Amino acid sequence: MSIKIQNLSKSFKTYEREPGLKGALKSFIKRNYTDFYALQNINLNVENGEILGILGENGAGKTTLIKLMVGLLHPTTGDVSINDYIPWNRKNDFLKMITVVMGQKNQLWWDIPASESFLLNKRIYQIEDKIYNKILNEMVELLDIRHKLNTQVRRLSLGERMKMEIIASLLHRPKIIMLDEPTLGLDVISQSKIREFVQYYNDQYKATFIITSHYMQDIDSMCKRVFVMNKGKGLYDGNFSTLIKKINPTKKLTYTFSEKPNNELLLQISKSFNVNIEQNILIAHLDDSKLNDLLKLLFELSSSTSISIEDLPVEETMRSFFESPESYL
Amino acid sequence: MITWFKKYNSILRASIITALEYKANTIVGLFAIFTGLSIEYLIWSMVYESSSNNYSIDGWTFNRLIAYIFLAMIVGQLKSSWATSFEMIMQIRQGFMNQYIVKPISFFSYNLMSFIGSNILFYIPYSILIITVPIIFPNLIFINSIQIPFFILAVIISIYLSYSIYFFMVCFAFWFGEVRSLLAAYNISMFVLAGQIIPLDFFPDSYITIINYTPIPYLIKFPVDIAMSLDVNYYEWINMLCIAFFWCIIMRLLGALIYSIGIKRYEAYGS
Repeated sequence: MSIKIQNLSKSFKTYEREPGLKGALKSFIKRNYTDFYALQNINLNVENGEILGILGENGAGKTTLIKLMVGLLHPTTGDVSINDYIPWNRKNDFLKMITVVMGQKNQLWWDIPASESFLLNKRIYQIEDKIYNKILNEMVELLDIRHKLNTQVRRLSLGERMKMEIIASLLHRPKIIMLDEPTLGLDVISQSKIREFVQYYNDQYKATFIITSHYMQDIDSMCKRVFVMNKGKGLYDGNFSTLIKKINPTKKLTYTFSEKPNNELLLQISKSFNVNIEQNILIAHLDDSKLNDLLKLLFELSSSTSISIEDLPVEETMRSFFESPESYL
Repeated sequence: MITWFKKYNSILRASIITALEYKANTIVGLFAIFTGLSIEYLIWSMVYESSSNNYSIDGWTFNRLIAYIFLAMIVGQLKSSWATSFEMIMQIRQGFMNQYIVKPISFFSYNLMSFIGSNILFYIPYSILIITVPIIFPNLIFINSIQIPFFILAVIISIYLSYSIYFFMVCFAFWFGEVRSLLAAYNISMFVLAGQIIPLDFFPDSYITIINYTPIPYLIKFPVDIAMSLDVNYYEWINMLCIAFFWCIIMRLLGALIYSIGIKRYEAYGS
């Protein structure tokens, strides 16, 4: 087992103040602190080499969970063990084994080329020249960023910077990689490059990935298993496609008749199924068994020029899930 | 040890490269010290001219006082890590410290090397200045060449000691978030209390007695005293270097202690 999390909770002391100068003065004299629980009783196990997606709306506790896993925070209660290390003890061997990429907090030196920051990491992690050159060459090729290696970081685009951040984080070949919103604000090409890279790295080096993202496409393409969080609590831990089916079991069928269907056929279909037919195209949203029945009937009574069966867009499905998660689980 | 040196030397290197990136700032910074020195020179010229005994004040001749101020300002600039300390506070407050915590490096040493790296270019004009002072004011500083290595050692200790004191104060940011006013107050008071703009001999004896129990005399007075000493006092200098070194250990340990407690409160703000 790579990561073991037991009964993990984290609270922060917060205070609220009224807006305006009066509120600021009141708050300066007396502040009413309350405990805000960012995480409550989280239990999670991750196997070596797994890619786990952490899903949740803003404020669900995803980043707090990652910060606890890499040892940035101390928990209020509970335990985290990563390959038998307690993260917040920050032993050097543990720190050499992990890495984290956080969308908003970068490790690259702003005023100098990324290649200088890479050299800095080479020394910090004591990477041998030969290994360093091999890893760097491999990653710049995969992420298609060699031409920007000697450009100052401040002159790079967001996508280029993120690629450089990922390279800087992986130079020491960590076994556990946490990516917090790695595709945030990137264009579709950069997003897909990063997704491909994660899959390649996972296949090649059997590294464990923990990924948070608001883009369901990221999760859909990279993670088989997801951990869904809501208001600091774990809601679901399991297969992503099973979750999608649970939330929205329907599929979209688009059936194009080879010729305009006659009235008798239309009557027969609309008697048993909820469909929409325009010209010679039929569209239906049905669950698996009803879809089978409809297709049987269509094959018996008509011929088609094209048939397509699609899952509903994952983004749409997850949006309806987060509106009332309890009703689906 | 070699690995440690390579690790932190690379931070030094990156800091120098960063400093060289902004040409205008570096060039202005190189000559900034001359502004302060010129102002001090003008003020003290007027003070001595208006003095009834314009030859000496409290036993200090004009040339001797100016030589003292020149040296004190240089040492003061070399040891002044307030800008790095302000950055460290921001790193704690805004969560940019995350990048150090997740790497096998020390927050203390990383920022120390970063501070030295970004200031190393300023060591060039300061060194030139130190070389020119004995030419302009002969027989006032470095009368004996053995004073030079002792002075350099005392300055290195002063830089480390000063940084350790700043670091100790920076760690309070774990509790209070913003402590730049504390550092600013310390910085301004040290200009006077540590003898950067006026020799401590001008202060009452009771003040001298009190500060001798603190690390303050080792920040500026001690290195400058070595450079300006008319005799070679090996025994006294070694003794003082040992006490200064002791203060370095005390301040480093205090910093480490407060850091180890404070880091548990670190909230790693932002994502």
